[in-house]
Amino acid sequence: MDSDCLSLLPAVCLVLADPKQSPPDDTSLEKLLDWFKELHSQSNGQVLLQHQPCLLEFISNVCTSKTTDPAILSFTLKLTGLLAATTQGFNLLDEGGLLVYVFEREAWGVCDLWEDASVRSGWLQGLLDMLKHQQALGFICGNGLIKVILQLQNDRSLFVACLANQLLVHILNFLTSSNMTSGSDVVGSSESSLRPDWVSASSEIMNAVVEALSSEDCPRVLQGLRLLSLVLSQCGEPIISTLWKDVLVPLEVFVNRGSESLIQTLITVLEAALGTPLLSQSEYKVEELLEAMLGDGNRKECFQCAALIVKLEKCPEVLKRKATDIILLPLQCVSTQPQAEKEINVVLKEQLSQKASCISLLMQSLSSLAQLAHTKYLFEDISIHSITSSVALLLRMCSGHCPSSLLHINAFTHLIGCCKVQRCGLDTLGALSVYEENLDLRKDIFGVLLDYLQSPDSHATVLKKTFQAVKRWIVCSPFPDLLQFISHDLFPVLEKRMCDLRWEVRDSTLEFITQLTAALNGNSGFSEALHTSGMVSVLLSSLADAEGYVRASAVAAVGEAVTASFHQTVLVSNSKLLEDALMQMMAILSQDTEGFPRRAVVQAFTSWLKGSHLIMALESSLSSVLSLGGSDFDWEVKMHTLELAEVLMEKTLTCCPYAVQNFGSSEETRFTQALIKFKDFGLFDLLFNSLFDCDRPVCEKACALLVKLGTLTAETADLDHSILVLNVCGNRWGDEVQRRYLNKQQAKASVCVTNGVTGSDEGTDCDLHCTKDISLPKILQILDLDDMQRMLTLSSDHVVNSPRSLMEDILSAAQQSEENIVDCY
Amino acid sequence: MKLYCLSGHPTLPCNVLKFKSTTIMLDCGLDTTAALYFLPLPLVHSPRLSKLPGWVSKDGAINLEKKELLDLSTIDVILISNYHCMMALPYITEHTGFTGTVYATEPTLQIGRLLMEELVTFMERVPKAQAATCWKNKEIQRLLPGPLKDAVDVWSWRKCYSVQEVNSALSKVQLVGYSQKVELFGAVQVTPLSSGYSLGSSNWIIQSHYEKVSYVSGSSLLTTHPQPMEQSSLKNSDVLILTGLTQIPTANPDGMLGEFCSNLSMTIRAGGNVLVPCYSSGVIYDLLECLYQFMDSANLGSTPFYFISPVANSSLEFSQIFAEWLCQNKQSKVYLPEPPFPHAELIQTNKLKHYPSIHGDFSSEFRQPCVVFTGHPSLRFGDVVHFMELWGKSSLNTIIFTEPDFSYLDALAPYQPLAMKCVYCPIDTRLNFHQVSKLLKDIQPLHVVCPEPYTQPPPAQPHRSDLMLELQPPPMSYRRCSVLGLPFRRRYERIHLLPELARSLVPSEIKAGVSVATVSAVLQSKDNKHVLQPVPKPAPVPPSKKRKRVMEEPPEVLNPKPLLSGAVPLEPFLATLHKNGITEVKVEETADGHILHLQTEDVLIQLEEDATHIICDNNEPLRTALRDLVLRFLQKL
Repeated sequence: MDSDCLSLLPAVCLVLADPKQSPPDDTSLEKLLDWFKELHSQSNGQVLLQHQPCLLEFISNVCTSKTTDPAILSFTLKLTGLLAATTQGFNLLDEGGLLVYVFEREAWGVCDLWEDASVRSGWLQGLLDMLKHQQALGFICGNGLIKVILQLQNDRSLFVACLANQLLVHILNFLTSSNMTSGSDVVGSSESSLRPDWVSASSEIMNAVVEALSSEDCPRVLQGLRLLSLVLSQCGEPIISTLWKDVLVPLEVFVNRGSESLIQTLITVLEAALGTPLLSQSEYKVEELLEAMLGDGNRKECFQCAALIVKLEKCPEVLKRKATDIILLPLQCVSTQPQAEKEINVVLKEQLSQKASCISLLMQSLSSLAQLAHTKYLFEDISIHSITSSVALLLRMCSGHCPSSLLHINAFTHLIGCCKVQRCGLDTLGALSVYEENLDLRKDIFGVLLDYLQSPDSHATVLKKTFQAVKRWIVCSPFPDLLQFISHDLFPVLEKRMCDLRWEVRDSTLEFITQLTAALNGNSGFSEALHTSGMVSVLLSSLADAEGYVRASAVAAVGEAVTASFHQTVLVSNSKLLEDALMQMMAILSQDTEGFPRRAVVQAFTSWLKGSHLIMALESSLSSVLSLGGSDFDWEVKMHTLELAEVLMEKTLTCCPYAVQNFGSSEETRFTQALIKFKDFGLFDLLFNSLFDCDRPVCEKACALLVKLGTLTAETADLDHSILVLNVCGNRWGDEVQRRYLNKQQAKASVCVTNGVTGSDEGTDCDLHCTKDISLPKILQILDLDDMQRMLTLSSDHVVNSPRSLMEDILSAAQQSEENIVDCY
Repeated sequence: MKLYCLSGHPTLPCNVLKFKSTTIMLDCGLDTTAALYFLPLPLVHSPRLSKLPGWVSKDGAINLEKKELLDLSTIDVILISNYHCMMALPYITEHTGFTGTVYATEPTLQIGRLLMEELVTFMERVPKAQAATCWKNKEIQRLLPGPLKDAVDVWSWRKCYSVQEVNSALSKVQLVGYSQKVELFGAVQVTPLSSGYSLGSSNWIIQSHYEKVSYVSGSSLLTTHPQPMEQSSLKNSDVLILTGLTQIPTANPDGMLGEFCSNLSMTIRAGGNVLVPCYSSGVIYDLLECLYQFMDSANLGSTPFYFISPVANSSLEFSQIFAEWLCQNKQSKVYLPEPPFPHAELIQTNKLKHYPSIHGDFSSEFRQPCVVFTGHPSLRFGDVVHFMELWGKSSLNTIIFTEPDFSYLDALAPYQPLAMKCVYCPIDTRLNFHQVSKLLKDIQPLHVVCPEPYTQPPPAQPHRSDLMLELQPPPMSYRRCSVLGLPFRRRYERIHLLPELARSLVPSEIKAGVSVATVSAVLQSKDNKHVLQPVPKPAPVPPSKKRKRVMEEPPEVLNPKPLLSGAVPLEPFLATLHKNGITEVKVEETADGHILHLQTEDVLIQLEEDATHIICDNNEPLRTALRDLVLRFLQKL
């Protein structure tokens, strides 16, 4: 394919270099570059330039042209960088002085093109791509390009500035690594091996960072800090420590000044520093700086800083403790009584008295706490018990309850009905369930959560978070005591919520029940409560909800309830439940106008089948599920049906380890029996129909399943073909099979004719007539599944997406525009 | 300007405003909570109720919030803001010597009439054989059991009014439309404004030329069926009387509506009946509308809804014809072939049925499970009493309280023990504290007057400082029987000049844009209008010299002395003196101006800001000369 493309390349180059042509859109150029990149990576060593001299011509044309379009120039810069990434390519380009010509902007035909950001970014990208070998480095250093790159670091375009930073880091990195290699290769000190212009290049970059940090200009400082953090995270020694020594003084100034706009970036720098060997050496003061950022919790920005430090992964323990103490202050201040007057933090109190800052502080506090809880962080100075009570109290305050002892801070009125804090608090409360110390708080916490579930003012999203928290607390608690809570308090509320006006609430309630049932799978107490409390009948009635999403969730919930019921000692109601559920679900699958509930039904069957207890009970419905699901017009329903078929195949074909081996039943007969069963279920109809479906994923899945089946059939040598004969008349897949069958027979016949063999022994004549019944192995053979599978794995746009079609497009667009010009006369 | 507060109930106000020469009563709400002290009036003999120990059921009596604070016959007009706030009207207009006019909008009058008729029917269809009053004696009351002995003001409890009284009271109502300006005796103008709470509900503006009092009662900013609240006209008020805020500030109407629907559908799904004790107009329209949308999604399509009230039919029909009083959305439906409220469709499709009472058709068509809307919310009278007796014993049934006027626990007391589930979803769409503080920030009244409960957090939630009015300056609060002097003084009055008088005036400009003229005229005041008329020419003196009636002679008209204005500048004045030969002048500066001492003449001239004195002993020619010199510098009018 590539050779085709290469033959088109000269023409494409001509079109692109032609200033009269309007350039193709950016995406085509990007795709073209991608193709070059791919070519470059494949052609290990073999230089594209040698074989395609048109490229050199193209590059020099573009650069000298007086009317080059910025998009084309940018493309050319990137392309040149890519081509110069190998030493051979570099040399080829350098020989004619072309390289200098390309990257020396004064040499371009049009000077003011540099004003275009895409050109600047192309320039940087080209250099970045080129920088794969020492010659490239020499080129950059030797031609004074470092200065330009440093200027671009403060470019007004963010992309350009970011790219410049990356390039600088890359250069520094390259300098160090080439230093190391040359140090090891060449006998003698590494210092002497480093070319003098390289030494000056690295010091130029580092000086620029120091200069930027000492400047008064905030955007410049930010860029300097960004570069610093990149260097810290991507470069090695000795660069890091050299640079750090120089920037330490300005960093200390920033930290002590505590300006709000720099905090985030400063923290990123310090975070990067934490990951370096700098941390272990006290003279580099990394820890000291972080600690200074925190202060003693009396500055406005210390909370933001603490929130960031808490998130750090490689943070010294002492620092993390301090940050944790500070970030918990807002929460404690709102929800506990001050011990003494002096303890009240003035800055904090002022911040809490304003609505916006109060809410954001509490959210920071809560989300940091949740983060700590996820890692099961061990709190030292504060008991997790009191923290959890604080969160519970805060949630109570949000719903309008407040003990009068806490009215010293007027944050209370900001909190009433505040959904943001409620959601965040509920998340945190859920996360805190991992601590065993909280077990005795359970009653209080369930009380708070129940209040939220009962409150008519709870927002739908708040309810969803409440459900999540309830689930976490239920799952982590010892069960027997909970049963009372679940059946007496929780279930009645859920029952009411399932009648809520808002469908979102009904939906999340049902989802919650599903999750809870699944999480407590095998817990007989819970399943019994579920069935005796009348919950199941409410679930069944939700199957007729007006909203499709709710019906889908109801299907899932009923599915789980049925699964749970079979873990229980057999109750009379169980079979009744299954019967009711099956009837309603089949009605949904066959009649529901929306896709979600139908998908849910098929999924429920799949999960039942996986659970294996129910196969006997389900057998009667399985064939209709397969046929209804397979002929659904929603492709996802079809996919789920195929997944169901897959599970069915697995379950039937893999031998059950506990099953008593039937005396005399061989592997083969069991396989044959399984196939007969599949035929009865209509599995083959489903698979073959899906194979010729209009949706590619469906075909792919069906094909994969059939291939699996084909392999098994082929392995089973003495399979009795006559048993598994399928009727191929009167359906689409049958016609297709028949057509292919006839084609094959004809081909065979013609081969026979040309070979002069009469078909007396094969009996082709009679086979050429319409065949009604063909055996399964034969069909699998006729269909040539491997080939089909190969075709199907190619994405549907594989033809239009090829580089060849891309080039053809560029060419034809050029031709058309010429025609258009002609038309104008 | 004074405000007499006859009711302390924040949502059933009754205030009297004395403004200029008028006496205006603002609303006359009727607090019927005293009914809770009585046993229910059953429609069907109830063995259980009659067997209750102690007291035989008495007449349904009502607490009337009145005191002899002022003579009701002196009231000139009564302004009604909504139909709930007019239920005491017959007590005020009948048998009190009241001769004034009542102003209300048409829906207020019609629906108010329905509610009154309903109340009367409820009372009269279970007549009492006897009435007892002796127990009201303090000595006897002290011995009574339970809450009754602690009831206050039992002597003010009155028997329910009759249909004749209702008709007579309502005949005094004059209908007004929103923004219509009504002149009261030429002194003040009153205007009703839409308040958004119920059909025809209004706030009132009472204004003279220079003063404006706004009366806000029962307003709502929520989008329900009535026309939205008109706010901008309330701006620039000197005093704003604020009543009728939500009674349940912690219950958000949307949440409560959701609660109502989910409890209702939960009960119906489980096969139970739902009882909704409610008034026959108001929130019920919104409930029916909400249920109309909710029924299909909750699979309640086949459940019948019954609305039982002596005025059920009229209430449902009336709501459909008051198009101009509805919200924009419903008004536009009037131009379509569909009625504004969806309850018409519910009736057409037989999902909603209405009956005047449980007797008659209802008993034959009644089918369970069902939802019944019926009165009275106090559970002491009306058809609801019957349903309580009928359904109270089964835990499948649910009673859902939606009206916030009565404590639901007190209302349920005589029916205990009760197996039926009880749900309290008070739906009060009136302004909450958050909305009202925003409104007040917007309309910026100089002073706010409100009932005392609004100035402190609810007693049950003392920590909720957000549930009270916090204003600068703090609002003036009133309680029952307060008399407030409203804190502003009337400073101006408008007076008309007749054209001929105006023509005769000679204005002279004393500073840029301000001209002054003297007026001599006769002030005529009639119907609170003041007119300046030219002075009548003195009648030609009759030839006869007999002056029989000296008194009738018009006063002698003297030309008034000219008025002076301006100031005497020191330097030019000294120069003038000098020119006139007075040279030896000693000038002394004082706090108010200057003292000139003319030493040769021994004369003192005191030049002050608002006076000039020439002190010279017995030298009249010199004084006159000096006076003329001073006058040169002043303007004459």
